[in-house]
Amino acid sequence: MSPIYPINDYGPLMPGLVMAAVAIFHVFLAQFAVGGGFLLCYFQWLAMTGRNRTARRFIGDYFKVLVMISFVLGALTGVGIWFTAIQVSAATIGEMVFNFHWIWATEWLFFCLEIVAGYCFYRYHDRLTDKASLVLLAMYALAAWMSLFWINGILSWQLTPGDWLQTRNVFDGFFNPSFWPSLFFRTTVCLTLASLAGCVVVNVIPGLDRQERTGLINRAAHLMLPMLAMPLLGAWFLWAMPADSRQWVLGGSPAMMLFFTISVGASLAIGAYAVIGLWMQRLYINGATGTLLILLAFGATAGGEFVREGSRKPYSIRGVIYSNAIRPQDVAELRRIGCVTNDPFPIITEDHLPGDDVELGARVFRRQCAVCHTVEGSNAVAHLTESWDADQMRMNIAKLQQTKPFMPPFAGTAQELEALVQYIRWVNAGRPADWQSDTTPDKLQDIRSWLDEAGTEPANAVVQQIPATNLSRLPAAAGDSDSERQFVQSGVPPHGLAVVQRGQVMAVSTGATNGSDSERQLVQSGVPPHGEDL
Amino acid sequence: MESTFPFGFSGSLSFYLSLYVLTLVLHAFFMTYVLAGSLYLAWTTIFPGATDHPRGQQPLALILKDWMPFVLSAAITAGVAPLLFVQVLYRQQFYTANLLLGLRWLLVVPVLIIAFYLLYVWKSQFVARWSVASRVILAAGVAGCFVFVAFCWTANHLLALNQQSWASAYGGGSVVSSVSSLLARLATWIAGAFPTMSILAGWQLWHFRSRSGNQEAAEQEAAAKGTRHLCLVSLAGLAFAVGSAVVYAAMLDKPLQDAVLGSAGRVWLVATAAGVVLQAVCWVMVLKRKQLTTLSLAMISVAGVIALIGTASLREVMRLAQSSLETVTENARLAEAVGGLGLFLGSSVIAGLLITGCVLVTRWGRKPGSEAA
Repeated sequence: MSPIYPINDYGPLMPGLVMAAVAIFHVFLAQFAVGGGFLLCYFQWLAMTGRNRTARRFIGDYFKVLVMISFVLGALTGVGIWFTAIQVSAATIGEMVFNFHWIWATEWLFFCLEIVAGYCFYRYHDRLTDKASLVLLAMYALAAWMSLFWINGILSWQLTPGDWLQTRNVFDGFFNPSFWPSLFFRTTVCLTLASLAGCVVVNVIPGLDRQERTGLINRAAHLMLPMLAMPLLGAWFLWAMPADSRQWVLGGSPAMMLFFTISVGASLAIGAYAVIGLWMQRLYINGATGTLLILLAFGATAGGEFVREGSRKPYSIRGVIYSNAIRPQDVAELRRIGCVTNDPFPIITEDHLPGDDVELGARVFRRQCAVCHTVEGSNAVAHLTESWDADQMRMNIAKLQQTKPFMPPFAGTAQELEALVQYIRWVNAGRPADWQSDTTPDKLQDIRSWLDEAGTEPANAVVQQIPATNLSRLPAAAGDSDSERQFVQSGVPPHGLAVVQRGQVMAVSTGATNGSDSERQLVQSGVPPHGEDL
Repeated sequence: MESTFPFGFSGSLSFYLSLYVLTLVLHAFFMTYVLAGSLYLAWTTIFPGATDHPRGQQPLALILKDWMPFVLSAAITAGVAPLLFVQVLYRQQFYTANLLLGLRWLLVVPVLIIAFYLLYVWKSQFVARWSVASRVILAAGVAGCFVFVAFCWTANHLLALNQQSWASAYGGGSVVSSVSSLLARLATWIAGAFPTMSILAGWQLWHFRSRSGNQEAAEQEAAAKGTRHLCLVSLAGLAFAVGSAVVYAAMLDKPLQDAVLGSAGRVWLVATAAGVVLQAVCWVMVLKRKQLTTLSLAMISVAGVIALIGTASLREVMRLAQSSLETVTENARLAEAVGGLGLFLGSSVIAGLLITGCVLVTRWGRKPGSEAA
């Protein structure tokens, strides 16, 4: 069972929003830094070959911006993401760090290279030959892009773990289905951001005439050329996404569809300006326009990152951990023992709780809901459920993954669910000093039935097969029926879907379950009858 | 813990502990430069000394001011690796302490960002035209930021180890279970930062002095003053660090004292003591001769690194004595099973070569006559 971490309350903000703010900011800066390296290499080459006489001045000023923004804000917000991610879901970041610590350590090596190459250039480029400057810039650009390369593998793994779910091989996880489209898409974004930042910097370099500025801006715009491939790369990424995630983005979830549209719209606006203004040279980009385009790019980045994060729901790491930091394999056990039974942390968000039921509900809310919801602030549970009556609330929460397929299944006992209902109703009633619970044994029995009907797996269960290493340790006569043997050998049960995590059968979907007794036991309990190593 | 740290554990745990300690030492080497450097600069700003040769205009202060932004960058970069390994080994402790400190912990990032930008401001020419009061505020602000970060890390570390206080800390109780213990520990780190800073600053001063040659008598004299300051700062830092470490050790619970004095920690205690004594002897010799020589600096560097490794190892011995060894061993065992070590080792060689390449290109790729400029 995973450890229980304390969960902090951020008032009207849900922790996910805090995370999103830091993450979007960092991603934007980091991508600017990556693209900036390539842009500087290009301008150094222009300066060396005499293709643009003012390129040399641009390089010095642009690099100062890069150092001031990227080296300081970029590096520290990178650490900030780690700290913030811990606040949001320590279990998720823990899983990412644990499974990819050597990838992360490798990324760190290239980050070191980036810092050394960058500072060598920053401090000494005035005294270096053109060739030496180009070598340093190339090293810087390579290192920055390699940082993106490594981190991209870990981030894309969260959405599409791919074969890793079966093999647990780090490289299967790293080179997952959305790795390449994500990498190419992000690289294109990096180049675009660097180009737009270049347009702003050109406008603030003192002493340049209009013609010189135009020449530099047109050169910087060359890095926007890969934007032409963005629709294809975006489509590739969508195609690589799991079908249910793709469905959220393309209309299944209004919020995600909205952010997706914002991202696409802002990118189109930038692309149109690039085509008309820069390649066709019909428009001049002054500092204000350049800044506006960067803000649009920020909007596009924010929208894209929101979609990337949101489309993983109900997981934070697909098939591994839910967005509320509960693992799929723990759900069945938590329904048996309770999700807050071992929670040592007191309730601090409410001044007065009228009775044990409501307090238990507050604890359940904190454990299962508080990462993505507030009580009454943003994405508030009170508001989302205010039109439901009590029985509706009981059933909708018990069958949460069916009520809303992007939600994880409820992972607690019937009593805990009932307590959560009481807590929400108490909040909706204006937090009265006295609260009369309407819990009855019949209602608890109804909840149990609904929980059993819904099962413990999410709406779109991630089917995992048993790793071959575990299969090899199974006893020869593992099952007493053909269908059970088939399950043991294939990892897929004869009726319905099996969700298998870390070599353990976690849950079986509600398919027809009219097999043998032992098979029925497997389906109902998630524990195979002879599954020693399962 | 029957054997000398990090031996006597499972192979995987010894491996990860060694990596953690070594990367922590690398981080501490840069971090102490920034922490002690900012405090030294604050002192030179608040107490500038003689008006014709203010301390803030002497080579040591100028070198520190010039290099602090880069070294802060290096400290943050180097800090990523131990941050990674602490999460692998002590996941629950580290995360819980982070969460219990909450917003106070998250403040570390904006405070560091502010300090970073203030370092660039401090280094700029126009600060010289500021009033004395403004410069004092700037200097105290920068130093205050770094001391705050040091305080947060110390509080985080102590809270991570004090599992019994987690629930009460979450419930509104103090996240610091013993203020005196925290202050003694913090004082040890801050005071110990000065001699460690002096290693890198000493080499920079030595480089400055050898570059200025015999012609620049004024610069030579200034460098000699800087050397004297460095000696005094290091000796005072060593004395305070030892004093506060003794106070901190006296406050430790008996099992922790036993762990430090037992077979796991004894060698490192001796190594740390030897490193401290050797540093002190070398600095006294430098003070007498008024000159930093390659040999003296090399000896100080070796002694300083030994003391740093010893301190970091003792820190881990104490942490392990307060942790569930079973859990940490299991964490290391599972982590070892995760692939990618080969990739890391291969990339280390490539990145090492490329970093060396950057330095060599910077050294050999100079324009003719640029050195004189």
